[in-house]
Amino acid sequence: MVAQSRFSRTLRTVVGWAVVALFAFPLYYWLTIAFKDGSEIFNWPPHVWSFEPTLRNFEEVFGISFGYGFGEQREVLPGGGNWRMAPRLWDSIVVAVLSTALAIAISTLASYALSRMTFRGRHHFVAWILSTRMMPPVAVAIPVFFIYKEISLLDTFTGIILIHALMNLPLAVLLMKSFFDDIPVEIDESALIDGASRWLIFRRVVLPMVKGGMAATAVLCFIFSWTEFLFVLTLTQTGLKTVPVVSSTFVTSTGTAWGSMAALGAAAVVPAFVFILLVQKHLVRGLTLGSIKQ
Amino acid sequence: MFNANGGGTLKIGVLSTDRPLIWILPLVAMLVAFTIIPVIYNIWLSFHEYAPFKRQLVFVGWQNWQMLFADSRMWEALWTTMFYFIIVLSVELVLGMGLALLLDAEEFGFGLLRVVLTLTLVIPPAIVGMMYLLIQDPEFGVLTYVLDVLGILDKSVPILATSSTALWGVMLADIWQWTPFMFLIFLAGLRSLPAEPYEAAMLDGASTFMTFRRITLPLMSKVIAVAVLIRGIDIFRMFDYVFVMTSGGPGTSTYTLSLYSWQQTFSFIKWGYGATLSLFTLVIILVIANAFIAVTRVRW
Repeated sequence: MVAQSRFSRTLRTVVGWAVVALFAFPLYYWLTIAFKDGSEIFNWPPHVWSFEPTLRNFEEVFGISFGYGFGEQREVLPGGGNWRMAPRLWDSIVVAVLSTALAIAISTLASYALSRMTFRGRHHFVAWILSTRMMPPVAVAIPVFFIYKEISLLDTFTGIILIHALMNLPLAVLLMKSFFDDIPVEIDESALIDGASRWLIFRRVVLPMVKGGMAATAVLCFIFSWTEFLFVLTLTQTGLKTVPVVSSTFVTSTGTAWGSMAALGAAAVVPAFVFILLVQKHLVRGLTLGSIKQ
Repeated sequence: MFNANGGGTLKIGVLSTDRPLIWILPLVAMLVAFTIIPVIYNIWLSFHEYAPFKRQLVFVGWQNWQMLFADSRMWEALWTTMFYFIIVLSVELVLGMGLALLLDAEEFGFGLLRVVLTLTLVIPPAIVGMMYLLIQDPEFGVLTYVLDVLGILDKSVPILATSSTALWGVMLADIWQWTPFMFLIFLAGLRSLPAEPYEAAMLDGASTFMTFRRITLPLMSKVIAVAVLIRGIDIFRMFDYVFVMTSGGPGTSTYTLSLYSWQQTFSFIKWGYGATLSLFTLVIILVIANAFIAVTRVRW
C-alpha cells in the first residue's frame, strides 16, 4: 500500500514489538525456571528478571553433575523418585525418527501415485485420508489398546512407532502430493515415451526434485511425533515413555518438581526450535496439509 | 484436483497402464489396520461391557448407547467441548488475523518477530499445559501475581481450581500456543493477495475498515476456511491440556468428550462405555467437519 505517515509506522513498530514480547514472555519465564534453584521458584512475588542462575536442574534431570563428574543424585525430589531423564529423551528420539521414516516411505509412494496416476475412486481415497486426520486420537487409542494387548504390542517401540506413523500419514500424504503436483507432469510423460518405467522415473527423475519438500514433510512428522501425548500415555507402561508424557509425571501428590520439569522441557524443545527454523519456507503449506502454498 | 495433465487421450492412455494399487498398497494397509479395524472393534466393544466379577467382557446389547444419551455428565462434557471449541476458535481466529495484519509490514525487526511467533507450535502441548499450570499456580504463579496486582482476580481464587475460572485457564494455554498457527496461515494469505483491488479501493477513497471488510476478507475466504477446519478439528478433540492441567476438575467443570471417554475406559474400567463415548466423539467430528467442507468447498 502507499506511504504511511511516520507516526503510524512508529506506532505499528511499537505495538508489534510489545505484542510479540507479551507472547514470548511465558517462554522466557519457563526458561528462567529451568535455571532457578528450587527455593527461588517459590518466591512471592515471583522473581522474573533477577535471580541466581544455576545448572542444578539440568544436572538432576540428566544425572550429570557439571563440575563434579558423573555424580549421584544429591537430593530426593518431591515424589521421592529418581528423575534422571536422559533415557526418556532417547526413547523420544527413537520413536520420532523411526516413525517419521516409516511415514515418509509409505506416503512418498502413495502420493506419487495420487499425483500422477488416474484410477477410479481416487477422489474418495483422498477424502478417506483426510477423514483419518479428523479422527479423535482417543477413538483410535481405546481399540488399539485392546488390539495391542492381544498381539503383545503394548508398551513396545514397534507399537508406538506404528501408531505415530499412522497419525502422521494424512499430513505426509497430502503434503507430499502437493509437492509432486508442483512438478510438471510433462517430465514424467517424456520419460515414459522414452521407455522408462514408472519406478525408474520416480526414483531417478521425480524424487530428486521433491527432496526439499520431503525434508520439510519429515521435519513436521518428526515434530508431531515428538510432541504427541495421548497415544504414548495410553499404549505404554514402563517400557518406554516420551518426553511429553514423562513431564506430566513430575506432578505428584507431594508437590511438583518444577525446576526439573522446566529443564527437561527446555532440553526437549530446543531441537524442535532448530528444526522449525529450518522449514520456515514450507511451514504454512505443511500446517494446512498442502492446501495453501506460500 | 487433478493436476494439469494436458488432457490428451494418448497421455491418459499411457498413464492408465500403471498399477497404482502397488504404490498405494502400504498406505491402504496402514489405514485399514489402524482406522477401519479399530473402528469396527470399537463398535463391537460398544455393545459389551467389562464385568469386574467375571473378569471378562459380556454382551450388553444397546445398554451403553442408551446410557450415553441418558448420561448428564456426557451432555455436560459435550457442552464444555462445544463452549471451549467456540471460544478458543473465535479468539484464535480474531487474534491471528489481527497479528497477521499488524506484522505484515517491513518495520524494524518484524522478520525476527514473525519467526519468534512460530516457536510455540513445536512445544509439546502437554508441556505447554505444565507451563500454564505453573504460571497460574495459586502460590507463586506469575499470572496469579499480575491478576492480583491489577485487581482483576484475587490471589485467594486459584484459577485452575475454581470451577468458574478453570476452563478459561485451560483456554489460555490453547490460545497462547495456537494463535501463531492462525497468524502464519493468514500472513501467507495476506501476502498472496492481488494488488489491483486495493488500488481501485484507494482511488474510490474507501476507508481501511471497508477495504478489509469488502476486499481482504472475501479474498481470504479459502485461507480462513482451511485454517478454521484444521484448527477446529484439533480443538474439538483436545485432550492434552485438560489432562495435564485439571484432569477434568474441579468437579466436572473441565471435562471434554475426549477426556471423559479416556477416563471412563482407563480410570474407571468401563471399556464398553468408554468406547461408546469415543465413537460418539468421532461421529460428531466427522459430521461437523464434513459439513463444513461441503459448505465452504475446501478441496485437497
